[in-house]
Amino acid sequence: MAKYSQYVKIGERAVVADGVNNGMMKAAEKDDRIIAVLEDMGFPGLGWFNENAPERVIECGIAEANGAVVAAGLAAEGFVPFIHSFAFAVVSRACNQIRQSILQDRFNVKLLGREGAWGEPGISHNHIEIIGITRVMPNLVIVDPADVVEAEKAMMAIAEYIGPVFLKIEASPPPLRIFTDDYPFDLGKGYMVKDGKDATIIATGYMLTESILAGELLEKEGIDVRIINMSTIKPLDNEAVIKAAEETGAIVTAENASIIGGLGEAVATVLSEYSPAPLIRVGIEDEFSQSGRIMPEVDELKTHFGLGAEDVALSVKECMAKRERLKKRK
Amino acid sequence: MAHDEKLISELEEKADIVRRNIFTIFDASQMGHAGGTMSLVEIVTALYFHHLKIDPKNCDWPERDRLVLSKAHCCEAIYAILVELGVLPRETLTTYYRYGSPLQGHADRWCTQGIDYSGGSLGQGLSFAAGLALAEKFKVLRQPPSQSSLMPRYITRYNPLYRSYCILGDGECHEGQVWEAAMFAAKYKLDNLINIVDYNKFSLDGPTNEIMQIEPFIDKWKSFGWWVTEIDGHNLREIVDVLDLASNLYGDGRPKCIIAHTVKGHGVPHWEAMHTHIGRGEVISRGVQEGRAKYGKV
Repeated sequence: MAKYSQYVKIGERAVVADGVNNGMMKAAEKDDRIIAVLEDMGFPGLGWFNENAPERVIECGIAEANGAVVAAGLAAEGFVPFIHSFAFAVVSRACNQIRQSILQDRFNVKLLGREGAWGEPGISHNHIEIIGITRVMPNLVIVDPADVVEAEKAMMAIAEYIGPVFLKIEASPPPLRIFTDDYPFDLGKGYMVKDGKDATIIATGYMLTESILAGELLEKEGIDVRIINMSTIKPLDNEAVIKAAEETGAIVTAENASIIGGLGEAVATVLSEYSPAPLIRVGIEDEFSQSGRIMPEVDELKTHFGLGAEDVALSVKECMAKRERLKKRK
Repeated sequence: MAHDEKLISELEEKADIVRRNIFTIFDASQMGHAGGTMSLVEIVTALYFHHLKIDPKNCDWPERDRLVLSKAHCCEAIYAILVELGVLPRETLTTYYRYGSPLQGHADRWCTQGIDYSGGSLGQGLSFAAGLALAEKFKVLRQPPSQSSLMPRYITRYNPLYRSYCILGDGECHEGQVWEAAMFAAKYKLDNLINIVDYNKFSLDGPTNEIMQIEPFIDKWKSFGWWVTEIDGHNLREIVDVLDLASNLYGDGRPKCIIAHTVKGHGVPHWEAMHTHIGRGEVISRGVQEGRAKYGKV
């Protein structure tokens, strides 16, 4: 077993949505300004709302454009609306509404978008472009929690943060339980899950699980890799990226999203502007997703996209070789 | 509830002042949404100078009535009024469209005192106004019960904390979101929401009903569960009366829609004839000249 940081203890696989549910309930209990805005797709912790504060549940139906702007109106009056649906619905369907009515005035609206790269529903629901779409939007914070513990902490953190946030709820496959219960989640900061000297993997969301598995594969080959959990994709923790580049000299980013506009591009920008280092982006090429079985044992789409631990490990070795080639050229 | 002649003639004078301010704006910018702004003048005059519960010295007053200008490209009319109310300095009239000016090309809540809604992309204002109206319901629900009265709160509340007003253009009613919002407002019984449609019959490309038919317009709103009425949007007496009526119907559980029949470019023959949407250069300067000849200069 590799040596992990203080707040890391690898456990069984657990569904991220459970953490979101718990975080939502705790936040809603603490802050009665929180309003649940539904778009006919359920809501995290809905049972709690129905039992304790049914008047705080607003059902907009399958009308996401209206839902986003109604939420903006509520936020303008000091409430803290959370909107929940599929990412393609809550964000992409209402992009213009979010841009004008929420972000322009920096209203305190939280967007919870389900489903990411892979899942049975196929192209329409597997919204791999979502990070790229949200990253170009000014004033929007983007969070992609890595496991069930971080999801809960992230929910509570974004409820306290004043301003618009998009939080991606990875539906499946369930990631490993990575963090301990006293893990101090810090919005906007990367967290070093494991230190290492040979290379760095910067991962977000579900891909932290695959990166940790990759780290263990690499350890068997004598490669000591640093792993950073970059759950806040925007604003990016530039310092952690620069430090990793200076200390390890080879960076691999891992995300289960389109590599166009994603975490990899954000990291590439920081590297090329402040601390050039060889980089390989693991992610989904410029293509659409599709349906597939997604059990932890049989994951057809993971194999299809090349997002498994073996792929990440291979990219780390490639990146290290790249670094050596560049050294020789000098 | 007939209002005396004095009020109406005062408001008519105010409307002329507002027009003069608008001409000052256009004269300096040489560009603007002339048609939709002129069709709006009487409606916003009646709102700001008679009907709305506002305090020009305290634009952030929590109990002020909210006005959402969904057709935010016609913000020139609001700017003209905010200057008249002393919210904005008079010098700003000549800075419309300019860098660093509080008078942005489209109404902007961040940049301009007295503006409740940042618009530009059409069809969203009614949703926002519905959100504000819903927030009012929440706020009242959370007020501590009155200590001085033993009467139930619903009897003592013949007025909301504030009302939410929305001004829609007829062209933007082509947007599906307007009807999403209409369903939403009826569902949540937002009787504190008053929507005014500036039905000037023309959009940018041509007659609104030829571009995409919105008629039967009244029946549409009715079938969505709204209280609906129609007025002549250039008759100040009718506007004032209908606003009072719609406000007094508070408590009936229905959102209100006032369809105001107007003329695009109203008051300026050149703009009326051209159904000017956005005008530049000669269109504006000729219109301003005609308007000033009719209504005088500031």
